[in-house]
Amino acid sequence: MLFLSQLINGLQLGSIYALVALGYNMVYGIVKLLNFAHGDIIMVGAYIALFSLNYNHHPVVAALLTVGGCTLLAIVIEKTAYSPLRLAPRLSLLITAIGVSILLQNLAQFFFEARGRAFPADRLLPTGTVSIGDATVSYTSLLTIGISVASMIVLTFIVNKTKLGKAMRAVSEDTGAAQLMGVNVNVVITFTFAVGAALAGVGALMYGVRFPLITPTIGAMLGLKAFVAAVFGGIGSIPGAMIGGFMIGLLEVLVIHMGYSGWADGVVFMLLIIVLLVRPTGIMGRNLMEKV
Amino acid sequence: MQKSNVLECVGLGIDFGGLTAVNDFNIEIGTTDIYGLIGPNGAGKTTVFNLLTKVYKPTRGSVFVNGVDTKNLNTVKANKLGLARTFQNIRLFQNMTVQENVMVGLHNEIGYNLASAIFRLPSYWRAEKKAKERVCDLLSIFGMQDMIEHKAGSLPYGSQRRLEIVRALATSPKILLLDEPAAGMNPAETDELMKNIQLINEKFKIAVLLIEHDMKLVMGICEKLAVLNYGMLIAKGTPAEIQSNPAVIEAYLGA
Amino acid sequence: MQKKFVIPVPVRYAINTVLIAFFLIAANSMIQGGGLGRAQTAIIIQIGYFIILAVSLNIITGYLGQLPLGHAGFMAVGAYAAAIFWRYHFLPDTANIIAGLIIAGVVAGLFGLLIGIPALRFKGDYLAIITLGFGEIIRVLIVNLDWLTNGARGLQMPRSVRYSSFLVVYICVILTCIFIHVIMKSRHGRAILSIRDNEIAAESCGVNTVYYKVAAFVISAFLAGIAGALYAGNFAVLIPSEFDFMMSINILMIVVLGGLGSMFGSVVAAAVLTYLPFLLVPLAEYRMIIFSLMLILMMIFKPSGLMGSYDFSLSRILEKIINFVISKKGGKNDAKV
Repeated sequence: MLFLSQLINGLQLGSIYALVALGYNMVYGIVKLLNFAHGDIIMVGAYIALFSLNYNHHPVVAALLTVGGCTLLAIVIEKTAYSPLRLAPRLSLLITAIGVSILLQNLAQFFFEARGRAFPADRLLPTGTVSIGDATVSYTSLLTIGISVASMIVLTFIVNKTKLGKAMRAVSEDTGAAQLMGVNVNVVITFTFAVGAALAGVGALMYGVRFPLITPTIGAMLGLKAFVAAVFGGIGSIPGAMIGGFMIGLLEVLVIHMGYSGWADGVVFMLLIIVLLVRPTGIMGRNLMEKV
Repeated sequence: MQKSNVLECVGLGIDFGGLTAVNDFNIEIGTTDIYGLIGPNGAGKTTVFNLLTKVYKPTRGSVFVNGVDTKNLNTVKANKLGLARTFQNIRLFQNMTVQENVMVGLHNEIGYNLASAIFRLPSYWRAEKKAKERVCDLLSIFGMQDMIEHKAGSLPYGSQRRLEIVRALATSPKILLLDEPAAGMNPAETDELMKNIQLINEKFKIAVLLIEHDMKLVMGICEKLAVLNYGMLIAKGTPAEIQSNPAVIEAYLGA
Repeated sequence: MQKKFVIPVPVRYAINTVLIAFFLIAANSMIQGGGLGRAQTAIIIQIGYFIILAVSLNIITGYLGQLPLGHAGFMAVGAYAAAIFWRYHFLPDTANIIAGLIIAGVVAGLFGLLIGIPALRFKGDYLAIITLGFGEIIRVLIVNLDWLTNGARGLQMPRSVRYSSFLVVYICVILTCIFIHVIMKSRHGRAILSIRDNEIAAESCGVNTVYYKVAAFVISAFLAGIAGALYAGNFAVLIPSEFDFMMSINILMIVVLGGLGSMFGSVVAAAVLTYLPFLLVPLAEYRMIIFSLMLILMMIFKPSGLMGSYDFSLSRILEKIINFVISKKGGKNDAKV
């Protein structure tokens, strides 16, 4: 059945967007920064996975290296580029994030060359298909969806049950008050970037499996669409990011399936604009108001 | 409705997500009154200002300025109708000069169109020259006319508060809303400010509604007072009446 | 205290007009006479339209205080509008150039209106992302509207409509700078600046913030459209992928490095950033790495940019010199007495 296989296809793509969207979501919730470099962290992660798998590392080792590498990179970026600007105007921070994004892309281009490199997906996840009714679905699709959902459950647990997670929520509600209550804001911010990047690392692996051609610029469009997913679902909401991601993935697959692949990116951005105009806080978001 | 009231509120109220911040707020302010709005911290005084100037949309009730219902107006139109205000947390145009700050206040009075600006038509030069003279006139109330070239953000705190009043005055209001104008001023500065508020009231023949914690200032210059507690008006009257009102004393002493 | 000497307005205007005319005629005759090589001339023309792009983006980023990331979209609209019009050759050359530039500006301005109205409901990051989205949509439209734009293959520009000569480009540059200057030094400019500094205060001063935000968007888009037309008139083929997100970022870099809110800074930075890669050919490979690092370091250590909000004014410098001389003389006279 075509419908089912396309549905799974869309959910696979959507779960990648959802993983990336979560990173945007968490960082935005804490420091109110659209972290433009987030997509490029995924690009770096994809290269780490690629080289590590080509080096014949065990898939688990490669995965751990990828997630660890992304986390480390995000912490370095946060400490060197973002934290000196904590009290600066938002515009400066946003421009810095754009600068970091361009820097990562061009460093990657310098070291890894602009040409595309094949991602050895078959060494990471088992190949093969499974039949559900009339439809054939690949293992990788199901595994991607499964791993994403599992990651989100773990994240929900971290945010809701652990001490750091509670501190995160407190900082995103009111940074000043959280600080007065003895929360170490700097630690929380770094932790948030780290968790977001770890999810990005997982996303990088899933991206490599789905689109096995890695170039230095893959992060840009992926990051943008994931941000659209985050906005769509509602900034600051974990289930929102998940729903947003799945919706964007399904929409894109639908548009491509209808034969308008050239329009897919345009449709995603059109959706973003419509959502922002109709419901600026997204599906699950909360209203924010400036105090006068 | 009486014609002589510049501002009239009837049953004004607002809820924030189920929480009633201000309820059943009624007030009538005559064209040249100096009216004080007092109350403990968090009583909703600034919220009242935000309701009057349409920064917030009221949930209930109406506001009349010179008998005109402001129901469908936004902040800009409320200003054009004659409401000008200052802010508790100073909101100057920090990176602009003192002169430019006041000239933004004169924005609608200057009034030439885009074409006269682009082609530098005589109407541009005339209006700019007149506006600069007006700026000096207005600043001279507070003796600030020598500061026109200073950046507003670099002024001392007291001068920033005074500049905000001048900027509000520049919009030719019928009623001036002052949100804690004396906050952070020393007693000498406060005395000076008191005189200046009275001067403005007489010279421009406009009403003043002020929120203030400094009781000396409030009792000294206000002809009438309204007391707000937990978003409700608990008393209205002359300073003497308010001072002896048991409900007010209870609100302030928390008995 | 001595009264300061102020150069009267008509004199100031006369000095500036003479200087501008002198610069245009001198530089043009130098280029026409072969004083500059083909490559040098090409760079100077490139600098020209980047100046217009930067000063027009500066209206929104520097003066209005918002960060749109779709400036390349407006540029693309202008480029295609002018290119398509020019190719028909309805009019004799000079009229064709002027009409094409105006059409480019107006069409881009209409897009600015279309985008400005929804975008002004948002601030900061949301505005950035929504304008970025619009920019991408414009590019997707250009690629897919094959019948009009010849799609991804690119639109051929015959030699007869490659209008972007030094004189055409720099007349546009100068008119643009004057246009922005006269608007910013008026009640309309002050209204835009007041929104940047404090929107709520601006509203309570009676400034119609909605109107001015849209106006700033439209003016910025209009000028970007003209720059796009000049860009189109400079190449043999117009390719949609040139107008991507990176183009918007390049323009943003110029504005940020020059100093948010400084037109003079934008002009200098446009020249420096466009010329630098040619000057340092061995470093060309590292160009974007260096630029992005500069952007980050600039934000951390000198967020006001190279020029801060300083704007060059010849008459102000002249006034300073004259006043200095007067005060020297005055001082001597005082000493005698």
